[in-house]
Amino acid sequence: MPHKGQDYECFCEEEAINTKISLRNFSIGIALVLIWAFFAVASDKFISPRNLSLLSIELAVTATLALGMLLVLLPGMIDLSVGSGVGLIGGIASVLVFHHQVPSPIAMLAGLVFALVVWSLMGRLIIGQRIPAFIITLGGLLVFKGAFWLVIRNSTVPVTSGNTANLYSLLTTYYFPSWSGYLLALLVGVALVMSKLRTRQQRQAHGFEVEDGEVAFLKLFISLQALLLVVILMNQFRGIPLALVILGVLAWLVYMVTQHTPFGRYLYAIGDNEDAAVLSGIPVKKVIIVAYTLLGAIVALTGFMQTAYAGASTTTVGDLMELDAIAACVIGGTSLRGGRGTVLGVLFGALIMTSLLNGMTLLAVSPEMKFMTRGIVLVLAVWMDVALARKAK
Amino acid sequence: MSPPRKILQIEQLTKRFPGVVALKNVSFNVNEGEVHALCGENGAGKSTLIKILSGIHSAGSYEGAVKLNGRPIEFHAIADAEKAGIAVIYQELALIRGMTVAENIFLGAEPTKGFFIDWNRIYAETQKLLQQFGLHLDPAARVGDLGIGQQQLVEIVKALSKYSKILLLDEPTAALTESEVEILLGIVRNLKEKGITCIYISHKLDEVFAIADRITVLRDGESIVTLEARQTNKSEVIRHMVGREIDDLFPRRSSQRGAMLLKVENLAVGEIGKSKPVLDQIGFELHAGEVLGLGGLMGAGRTELLMHLFGVYGQRLSGKIFLHGEELAGNAPSEAIQRGLVLVSEDRKRYGLFLEKTIGFNLSLAALKQFTRNGLLEHNREIKSNQSFFDMLGIKAPGQETPVESLSGGNQQKVVVGKALMTQPRVVFLDEPTRGIDVGAKVEVYEIINTLTAQGKAVVLVSSELPELMGMSDRMIILSNGRIGGAFTREEATQEAILTAAMAYS
Repeated sequence: MPHKGQDYECFCEEEAINTKISLRNFSIGIALVLIWAFFAVASDKFISPRNLSLLSIELAVTATLALGMLLVLLPGMIDLSVGSGVGLIGGIASVLVFHHQVPSPIAMLAGLVFALVVWSLMGRLIIGQRIPAFIITLGGLLVFKGAFWLVIRNSTVPVTSGNTANLYSLLTTYYFPSWSGYLLALLVGVALVMSKLRTRQQRQAHGFEVEDGEVAFLKLFISLQALLLVVILMNQFRGIPLALVILGVLAWLVYMVTQHTPFGRYLYAIGDNEDAAVLSGIPVKKVIIVAYTLLGAIVALTGFMQTAYAGASTTTVGDLMELDAIAACVIGGTSLRGGRGTVLGVLFGALIMTSLLNGMTLLAVSPEMKFMTRGIVLVLAVWMDVALARKAK
Repeated sequence: MSPPRKILQIEQLTKRFPGVVALKNVSFNVNEGEVHALCGENGAGKSTLIKILSGIHSAGSYEGAVKLNGRPIEFHAIADAEKAGIAVIYQELALIRGMTVAENIFLGAEPTKGFFIDWNRIYAETQKLLQQFGLHLDPAARVGDLGIGQQQLVEIVKALSKYSKILLLDEPTAALTESEVEILLGIVRNLKEKGITCIYISHKLDEVFAIADRITVLRDGESIVTLEARQTNKSEVIRHMVGREIDDLFPRRSSQRGAMLLKVENLAVGEIGKSKPVLDQIGFELHAGEVLGLGGLMGAGRTELLMHLFGVYGQRLSGKIFLHGEELAGNAPSEAIQRGLVLVSEDRKRYGLFLEKTIGFNLSLAALKQFTRNGLLEHNREIKSNQSFFDMLGIKAPGQETPVESLSGGNQQKVVVGKALMTQPRVVFLDEPTRGIDVGAKVEVYEIINTLTAQGKAVVLVSSELPELMGMSDRMIILSNGRIGGAFTREEATQEAILTAAMAYS
C-alpha cells in the first residue's frame, strides 16, 4: 500500500470497510461531553447562559477559520499564514475605520478584496511554481505578521471611531432580539424538514432504499429540539449572537460546496491521488487556486470577527489561530494527507478546542497550563482516533 | 526415494472479511525445496493467502491451520514471519528509492559496532550476496537509479539476506523485461539448489511451467487441485482456473468502419525543455468502429504518444492533431475529455484510481458535469448511472459503496475503464488494459472493446503481448524508437513482421 505521508492516517485505511456506526464515530461527542461535564462541575458559571453565549461567539470565530482550513487540507495542502492573516486583514479594516474615517462596510470590503488577491496569489505560487504549501504559507505567516504591525504601527486601533457601533463592531456584539431568534429557529426548522422530505421523495422516486420512517423522524425531532434549546439558552442572555448565525450560514455553504458540487468532489479526489485527478480531466491548478481564494475570504471574515471580539487591533490578534484551526480539523477527523474530512467533524473539533480554552479561562488557569493542556488534548484526541481505528480493524 | 518432507501444510484455511469469504477450506502442502506455483484468477484468494503466510492477517483472524514444519504458525506481524524464515517479494516494490542497494538490503537489520552502524560490513556483505546470485550491481548505487527489474532483484537479495527458508514471490515478473525475467528464473533455480522453498505466484503460465515443480490452482477462494507440473499442460491449468474452457481467447468482432474521428499529422514530440524528439514523424488516422493496435518494444514511445495526444506528456515540436475534424491543442486532459477523448492508463494505481474512495466516487468523477444542475450535484441520478455501469461491467463487489482498495486487480481495472466510459467518449485509448489481470477478466475487457466499437466508438489499444495485439486489433501501427516502423492490417500481420517493424529504427 503506497503511503504518501507518515501521519496517523496510515492506520485508518480499513475504517471505511467497517460498519458505519462504531464507537469511533461517537468518540468526539463523548470527549465533548466529558469536557463539558468536568467544567460544569468545576465551575458553576460554565453552563450559565452568559458564558454559553460568550462560548458561542468564540466558537464562531475558531470554527469559521477551521472551515476555511478544511478547504485546503482536503486537497492535501495546508495554510500556516491564516493566523497572521486574521490580524493583518482585521488591522487594515481597523486602520481605515479609525484613522481614515472610512465607513466600516467599505473598510471591510477593502480588507476582503485584499485577502482574495493575496490568497489567490499564494495558491498560484503553490500550484504553479510547485513550491510546497508549507513553505509558502510559513513565509506568509512571517510576512503578514510584519505587515500587520506596520499597518497598525504597533499600537492599539479600535474597530470604531468614538463609541458608536458600526457594522464592524456589531459582528460580535449584535444579538438577535428574542422573537427573531424563535423566528430564525422556525425558518431553519422548516427548511430542515422540507429538505428531508424532498430527499426522501426523490430517493423513493428513483427506487432507492430510504431510512426507516421512525428513525428519520426521531433524528429530525432531536435536531429540532437541539435547535430550540440553543435559542432558549441564548435568549436567556441577550439573544442569538450574530456571529453564531454567520457561522451557521458559512457551515451550510461549506457543506454544500464540499458535498454537493463537482468542485468539492475534486478537492477530495486531489487529496487522494493528484496524478489520477489530472488524468481524470480535473483542472487541478484551478481547483487549488479557488480553494485558497475561498480560504482568503474566510480569513478576512475571521479577521473582522476576531478583531471585533477583541474590540481593537492589537499586535497579538490572530496569534496561533492557524494552529487552533488545524487542530480543530484534525480532531474532527480531517486527514493532513488530504482526501478525508467533513464539516460536521470540523465543527465538533472547533467546539472541543473552544470549550477547553473558555473553561480554563473561567477557572483562571494560568496561560502556561492552558497552552500545555491544549497541546495534550490535541495529541490525546488523535491518539484515541487511531487507537479506535486499529481496534475496529 | 524417500517421500519429500512437507515444510508447509495448509489445512482447511478459511478467511472471512465483512461480506466476503476470501478463502474457503483451502488445503494443500508445500514440499521442502520445491518451487510451488500458485495460479488463479484475480480475486481467487492468492493475495489473502500470502497475507496470512506473511503475518499481515494475524493468527486468530482466520479459521483452519497453517503448519510450518508440523507446528501451527502464530504470526502477528511481518517480523514474526521473517523470524520463522518466511519472506515475501511483493508485486509493488518495498524499497527506499533514495537509499543505496546495500542500505536497502540491511534496512532494519543494520549490523552495529558499539553504537554506530558498521558500514564496512554492510557493503562487504552486500557485495558477497550479490556475487552469490551472479548479479553485477554496485552496492553503493542508488536504488532509484536502477531499472525496475534490477530493483526487483535487489528486493529478492534483501529477502534472502534474512536467511529465509521459504520465499513467496508475488507476481515478481510483472514489470520485468524478458532478459530480466530470465535472470530472475535463474535465481529461483539457484535457490532451489540451495534447498530454499519458493512459492511462486504468476499469471504468466510460461514462467510457471518453466520453473514450477507443482502447481496449485485456486478459484473463488477454494483450492481446486494440485498438479505435478510435468504431468499437466497450460490448457488444463487454465481450465481449472476459470472453471470452463476458453476456446476463443480473443473474441474480436469487427464492426462497420465509419467516419474518421482522429487524425494525427507529422507529429514530433520532445520532453519538456528538450529539443530532441522522443516521437517523430508520427501520422495515422482512426475511424469509428475500429480498433487500432499500437505495438512496439518497451520504450518505443507508445505510452508517450497516447499521453501526449491526451495532453499530459511532453511538448509538441511539430505536427497537428485533429479530433472530429477540429484541431486539438493537446495540452489538457480536461479539454480532451470534454471533446470525447479518454485515456485508461497502464498504471491504474498511480494514474487511474482513488484507492481510499468508493467505487461510485471513482466511476463518476470524470463525468460529474453530467450530474450537475445549477452548480449542484444530483446524487440520485449519479448513483443510478453508477449502478448501471457497475452492473454492465460486472464489477464483483458488495456494492458501489465499497472502497476500491479492497477490490482485486481485475475489478479495479473495470472501475478505471468504467470511469473513462462514463465520460461518454467517442475515442478511447487503452494502455495495456489487461496488464496484471487474469484470463477471465481479460476476456471481459475484450468484450467491452467489442461493445465500444459496435457502438461506433474508436479504440487505440496498446499491448505488449503480441497475441493480444494481433488478436484484438483491426489495424496495427508498430512504433520503433519513436517512429512508425510499420503498419499492418490484421490479415497481413505476423509475429515476425511485427518484430521486424519494431526494430526498424533501433
